[in-house]
Parts: sequence; structure tokens; C-alpha cells
Amino acid sequence: MNRRRGISALLVLAGILWAGTVGAMYRAVRRFETTPGHAATAHDSWPQASRLDRPAGAWTLVTLIHPHCSCSRATIEELQAIMEKAPPSVRSFVLVYRPSDFPAGWEKTEVVAAAHRLPRSQVLLDVDAREARLFGGFTSGQTFLYDGNGHLRFSGGVTALRGHAGLNRGAGAIVRIAKSGAGRAIHPVFGCAIISQQEGASR
Amino acid sequence: MSSTISNDVSPATSDRARELTNVRLDARRARVDRMFAVLLIVQYIAGIIGALTVSPYAWEGKVHAVHMHVWIAVIGGAGIIILPILLALFRPGTTLTRHVIAASQMLSSALLIHLTGGRIETHFHVFGSLAFLAFYLDWQVLLTATVVVAADHFLRGIFWPESVYGVANPEWWRFLEHAGWVAFEDVFLIWSCVMGRREIESSALREAQIEELSEQEQLKTAALQMALAEMQTATA
Repeated sequence: MNRRRGISALLVLAGILWAGTVGAMYRAVRRFETTPGHAATAHDSWPQASRLDRPAGAWTLVTLIHPHCSCSRATIEELQAIMEKAPPSVRSFVLVYRPSDFPAGWEKTEVVAAAHRLPRSQVLLDVDAREARLFGGFTSGQTFLYDGNGHLRFSGGVTALRGHAGLNRGAGAIVRIAKSGAGRAIHPVFGCAIISQQEGASR
Repeated sequence: MSSTISNDVSPATSDRARELTNVRLDARRARVDRMFAVLLIVQYIAGIIGALTVSPYAWEGKVHAVHMHVWIAVIGGAGIIILPILLALFRPGTTLTRHVIAASQMLSSALLIHLTGGRIETHFHVFGSLAFLAFYLDWQVLLTATVVVAADHFLRGIFWPESVYGVANPEWWRFLEHAGWVAFEDVFLIWSCVMGRREIESSALREAQIEELSEQEQLKTAALQMALAEMQTATA
């Protein structure tokens, strides 16, 4: 009889734990996925000090990537879709972050390998986020679209949430603007920080 | 066989057939409960391995910490499976156990979908799970699973729409489109549950009738043996 009562109590406790966990999990996941990273403080024009060789007259995408951020996979998947849908004149740079005191090769991840396969794109190493700072970005996945005159037309992320590939307004806006040549847009960016919050706040 | 078994079923045979049906269904459902207990543990381990492989760390510049997905896989995953496993161990074959298992299996699907970044391929886990749940031969279990999937989509569609539809303001009825595909599978699985249950019922009825015939035959044999014994006594 005591054993039976003990089992019933255990099951009730497990039931409470079960319901509690489900509720808490949904809340935690929602908070994690929907909290955007630090938005860029992008300039209206292509930064003059940048070492990137912007193709004259061509629309250009610049994307910042932290090679070890799992959310970067979704960004690269979306970039692939963008480059397939955008006009063939659009070119893209993917800037891969690596701290200078980290060994060479640290940045060689599956995500970066996937970035190398993007059409009409160049993958470049961005030691200590020098270029990211010039463009005004803080977060992995941050993407900028510049028109043929070097004017900023889009700033933001190309995923709907952290690490979620698929339909989203950011990628849609880039394709629309690049196709029509009209409009400007911003979108939240979801990903790991390339430049830490303290450093970003002090800028 | 059909020629020897009458279509008229006595109340006793009918009761016995019901008893045999219940015994078989209970045994089958207890087995399926145990199968799901093992499956839930396997999925839990797979979820942790997946999280450790796909997203072990969250980064801030050069600093890294354990990724939120790993914690969710370990703690959230354990929370989801603890009740159904305990029920499968201590209350196998009961209605409550299989409904809790159905809900937990669907929650495990939602967790795996989340851990894989909402990959469309992981959504097939929902459809595979429904097929496994049909092993219970209880169509109401499929309804519980469907309600959990629909509720998950409906609530996330309201509070967190980008996670399901990729856009912030989808039409209110979009969850019905997703749940509709689940309902499509349900139709065939519910039909298979009803047919499977009927087969067990009809086999139980045949067994009950055979038992009844056998009993009658035994009574006849006993009566004949008694009559024979009486005759032998009288002759002697």
C-alpha cells in the first residue's frame, strides 16, 4: 500500500515537473530566438577606409560572419538563396572574423566552407573585426547592401530568428531592392556577437 | 471454421470475447508503452548529441559559453520524458499513459525541430511519430497528438510567429494549413486503428466461441462417459 502511494506521489511530482518544464522551455526558447543582436550603426555610404575592392557600379552585399556561431549556417543558407534570386550583377563579400591572437585556421569551419561555395562571392578574413568596425556591424549575420553608387540600401540580418533559415523579411527586402533598384530597408540581426557588448557600447 | 461457429453469440461468449479483447489490447499497449519509453530516451540522447554537434557554444567575440540549445536539450528534454517514462514503468497499458506519451512524443518532435534550427526535414519526425502512435490501436491517442501539434503551432503563431512561418504577421488561419497535413495522415491512421481493433475483436470472438464449443464438447463427453459407466454397471 505504501509503495503504491509512493509511486502515485512520484507520478504527480513528475506531472508537475513535466508541465513546468514545457512552459519554461517555451519561454526560454522564445526569449533566446527572438532577441536580436546589437544592431549596426552603418554609414550611408561605403566606408572609404575599407580594404574591400567594391566592384565599380555593381550592387554589393557585405556579410559579417563569426565562423563558430551556429546561427551563421542559416545566414549562409539565406545568402545562397539571395544570390540565386538577385540580379546576376549583384556581388557579395563574406567577412570571416578571427581574433589576431587565435591560431590561423581557427576560422576554417563548415560554415566558412559553405560560404566559399556561394555564387559571385568572395570570402575574406577579417582579423580583429577591422572591416566589421568600418562598416559599423557588431553581430554575426549582419548584412549590408550597397547600390552601384556605394549608397547603403539595406542593413540587418537575413534570418527571421536566431539560426532559423527560411522565409524572412530581411532576405526578401534585399532581393526586392536589388531587383527594383528602389527603396531602403532595415531588419533585426540574429546571431552571436563579433564585437562584445561592452566594446560595442563604448563605440 | 465459419460453418462450425454460430453467428448467434451468447451473452457469456460475448463477455468472454470482450475480456479476451481487453487482455490482448492491454498487453499490446503495455508493449507499445515500453517501446515509447525506449524511443523517448533514444530521442533525448540524440537531441543532446545533436545540440553538442550543431551548436555547442554561443560566442561573443573570442569568448564562448555553453549554447542555450545544449541546456534546452539536457534539461528541457529530461523534463519532457520523465513523466511518460515513469508512467510506462508503473502504469503500463493505461489510457493516461498513452495520452501522456502521445503529447510527450509531439513535444519531443517540437524540441528536435527547434534544435535543428527549424529544418523542414525534421518536421518528418512528427509524421513518423504519428505512425508509431497508431500501434496503440486507439484513435483518440492520435487526436491528443494532433491537438498538441496544432496548439504548438497556434500558440507560437500568436506569440512567436517567425519561428513557424518566418514572417511576423501571418494570417490567423495559417496553423490550420500545417495541422491539415497532420489531419491528412490521421485519417488513414485512424482508419487503420479501427480496422486493427476490429481484427482483434473478431479474433477474440472466434476464440471465445471455440472455448464455448470446447466446453460443450467436454460436457457432452462427460455425459456420455457417465451414461456408459451406468450402462456397464447395469449390465454387470
